Amino acid sequence: MAREFRQRLKAFEFTPYLVLGLALIILVVFIAYPLSKVVFNSFIAKGDAPGLRNLTLANFSQFSTSTLYRSAFLNTLTVGLSCVLFSCLLGIPMAYFVAKTQTPLKTFFLTLGTLPLILPPFVGAYSWILLFGRQGVVNYFLETAFNYKLPDIYGAPGVIIAITMSTYPFIFLLTYGALISADPYIEESAEIMGASRWRVIRTVTLPLVIPAIVAGALIVFMRSVGNFGVPAILGGNFYVLPTLIHFQVTGFFNLNAAGAIAMVNVVLVAFAILLSQYVTSKRSYVTITSTTQAARISPSKFLKWVGTIFCLGVIFFSLLPHLTVIITSFTEGWAGTRYPNKFSLQNYRRIFEIALVPIRNSLFLATTATVVASVIGTLLSYINVRRNLRARWILDLTVMLPFILPGIVVGVAILIGFSSGLLILSGTWMILVVGFFIRRMPYIFRSTTASLSQIDVAVEEASSITGASWLTTFRKITLPLMAPGILAGAVISFSTLMGELSTTVILYSARWKTISVAIVEYLFSATIGPAYALGTILIVLVLSAIFLANRILGRRMSQMFKMV
Amino acid sequence: MTEQENGRITLSIRNLRKIFRGKQHQVQALDDVSLDIREGELFTLLGPSGCGKTTTLRCIAGFEKPSSGRIDFLGRDFTSIPPFRRNIGMVFQSYALFPHMSIFENVAYGLRIRKLSRREIEDRVNRIIQLVGLEATQKRKPSELSGGQQQRIALARALVYDPQLLLLDEPLSNLDAKLRVYMREEIRRIQQQAKVTTIYVTHDQEEALSISDRIAVMHAGKVSQIGSPDEIYENPISIRVADFIGQANFLACTVRGDGNPLLSFRSNETITITNSSGNIQSYQDREGILFVRPEQMEISGDPNHPNSLRGEVKVILYLGSVVRYYIEIFQNHEPQEILVDQDRRVRGVETGDPVAVLVHGQEAKLFPTEQKRQLEKV
Repeated sequence: MAREFRQRLKAFEFTPYLVLGLALIILVVFIAYPLSKVVFNSFIAKGDAPGLRNLTLANFSQFSTSTLYRSAFLNTLTVGLSCVLFSCLLGIPMAYFVAKTQTPLKTFFLTLGTLPLILPPFVGAYSWILLFGRQGVVNYFLETAFNYKLPDIYGAPGVIIAITMSTYPFIFLLTYGALISADPYIEESAEIMGASRWRVIRTVTLPLVIPAIVAGALIVFMRSVGNFGVPAILGGNFYVLPTLIHFQVTGFFNLNAAGAIAMVNVVLVAFAILLSQYVTSKRSYVTITSTTQAARISPSKFLKWVGTIFCLGVIFFSLLPHLTVIITSFTEGWAGTRYPNKFSLQNYRRIFEIALVPIRNSLFLATTATVVASVIGTLLSYINVRRNLRARWILDLTVMLPFILPGIVVGVAILIGFSSGLLILSGTWMILVVGFFIRRMPYIFRSTTASLSQIDVAVEEASSITGASWLTTFRKITLPLMAPGILAGAVISFSTLMGELSTTVILYSARWKTISVAIVEYLFSATIGPAYALGTILIVLVLSAIFLANRILGRRMSQMFKMV
Repeated sequence: MTEQENGRITLSIRNLRKIFRGKQHQVQALDDVSLDIREGELFTLLGPSGCGKTTTLRCIAGFEKPSSGRIDFLGRDFTSIPPFRRNIGMVFQSYALFPHMSIFENVAYGLRIRKLSRREIEDRVNRIIQLVGLEATQKRKPSELSGGQQQRIALARALVYDPQLLLLDEPLSNLDAKLRVYMREEIRRIQQQAKVTTIYVTHDQEEALSISDRIAVMHAGKVSQIGSPDEIYENPISIRVADFIGQANFLACTVRGDGNPLLSFRSNETITITNSSGNIQSYQDREGILFVRPEQMEISGDPNHPNSLRGEVKVILYLGSVVRYYIEIFQNHEPQEILVDQDRRVRGVETGDPVAVLVHGQEAKLFPTEQKRQLEKV
């Protein structure tokens, strides 16, 4: 009996359980625990001991009593809905033109159309003021030529424009993907039955890509109601929930109230998710088949030129703020003057005196978090795909939660979770790494899940029947085959972490300022030159990481964003 | 064949059951499967998809854990040993070559795990690649090889470390028809040369008949019959096996008289059978279903030929080595189509002609009438 038990013990492979169990523990400690704690704490008044007897709705009552809270809520909703609307207005036609007409420069549009997703939107936000503000260049021209002044860009209009310009690519890329992979025979069969070209678009083409548009719209909504940087810079008195949360944390250090606002923010997102699922489930869609047949291109010359002009316009307008950042960084002053004057490297000299530490911090934090996210994310996606877990959806949901939640909410959760209790990390670099890695792990998780599900299980079985233990198989077969997926996820993770602001702004401490925090501080103290020099450095770092990855992976940038 | 008849039993499977539990329902994939595999033989698991043949193979490999039952290999209990300690070679349906490794590294993989010296690895890889008939491809990646070449590499990778057991899971299903015939001869040759006990899974009965020492025909998680290819073909145990292997005609009839029994059909036609044929004696004065293969019948242009069934030629198919006649006979006013294979065209018989079909009584075999529903299920 004992001998048999020992034999069974010897036969049992511990390594996978050990390694994969560790990944699951990290999942529980760093995601499940802080997120449930923030939910619990939002029902506790500040100063009260956390306990079942002290449960209260006091933190939420502000939404009915305070006008600031109520307007912040309505503003957030306005921003979210407007950004979805405008992103669709820009993204859907652009996708149609690039996918379905003879518009030239398709690769160019696809590549530059992806850039706004990677470039942090807050960096360019201030440029809108330089360009379209009361003292801006455009207003100067309009005033001298037509005696006309643009409406004030501060507040809602600026916030909505700036966010839309950084979110429309989601609609553009997702719709484009659906358009080119839709079966061209469906359109042809509509045409052969006598439908006109416009009728085909209206009754066949567009309805087939609606799931993609809805998916894109959902991401746009989540991004815009969770954006902190843009309303912080362009909002002025125009408060939204993320800036209100920030106000509660930095102003009063009232984490319980911040948690309650965060909950409301989350409810908005959850509502949007449910709505999008309702919309897509109401209609039945045939799965879009992948035929080798390429998408049908409209021969119209008119559409070709309209498309080219439209796409060029959108691309130019969306990258204008970042171009302004780069150009301004090489001048001695623009803010307050009509044109940029006197080109010099003065701003950069200054940056290397005062901002070396934030650059080093950002590089260190982004790298560390990316490495951690890659290791844990890869293991978790392995569990997700290869182990037949009953509760697979729980794993999936837990990993993906920080992706769905606004960055500032994740920041609050991590701060609440690790500023008291067993594991105290607040004030250290580790709390930033935790916040960073759980927010970016979904990228790694998704891209490795995709590459892992494309690997034939038999390949791993072949290795194991040949005599390789689980660890050997994982090391020599699974990992090398997953490597492109890991790398793609890691690059997106790293490059978006370099300019991460909304989580950072809650978790940073005096010793651990990042590039993004430094930029915001310079902007607030009206030192535009150094802010833009630092912004330019950030843009260059992000773009070179992406460029390098494209070289190694040999795929286009727009393809790397397939999984979002 | 004869030398293996008394061969030592290396792998013994006893009362294997496997139940897959899904969310809503469970599927019994294996239902009381027992097999004995002899040393050095090529044993085939044959059956339609979903019959449990691949599940059996995966239980032997260790990728599936049987719900109950035992698998013993040379007296050792296999069930508690993980796949990588079983010392088995396996060829997968998709070949499952490591796409990121060269051909050499693919084949050398098992040897590296066994920590052989570099020289020995090189020696053995070269030898096995020669055995499977591929050279000068070692530096290439799997994706640069043709399907047939990948197949050989998969075989080489499975054999190079001298496994005690070789498992082949539908290895030829991804090849085109001609290559399939060639490769099954190659597999047989290599298996004989390597003298390795082999279990081969296929749904292709022709492949199974041509390659195997013994065959287990499986259906719905159960073993229907185990035997040599000729036993299975000539003496199937049930209508199901008879129908699955090769082409078969089934005719309802009644056995009358003794001495020389008479098969009486519903069409009131009768055929006299020699006393010694098949199992006909035991059906005396009872109904049964006559099983006869297309090549065990003959066509006569004279419709009044004695001792035969009358019918009408519906279709004549020229298949190269044989000519197949589809003939409609009347069973109690219901038309039934039967297949008759002839070595060459019967002179003077064209489509639409009335003919007589002669049954070679020596090979005729009867099945109980109840088994008829096995046929309708297929």
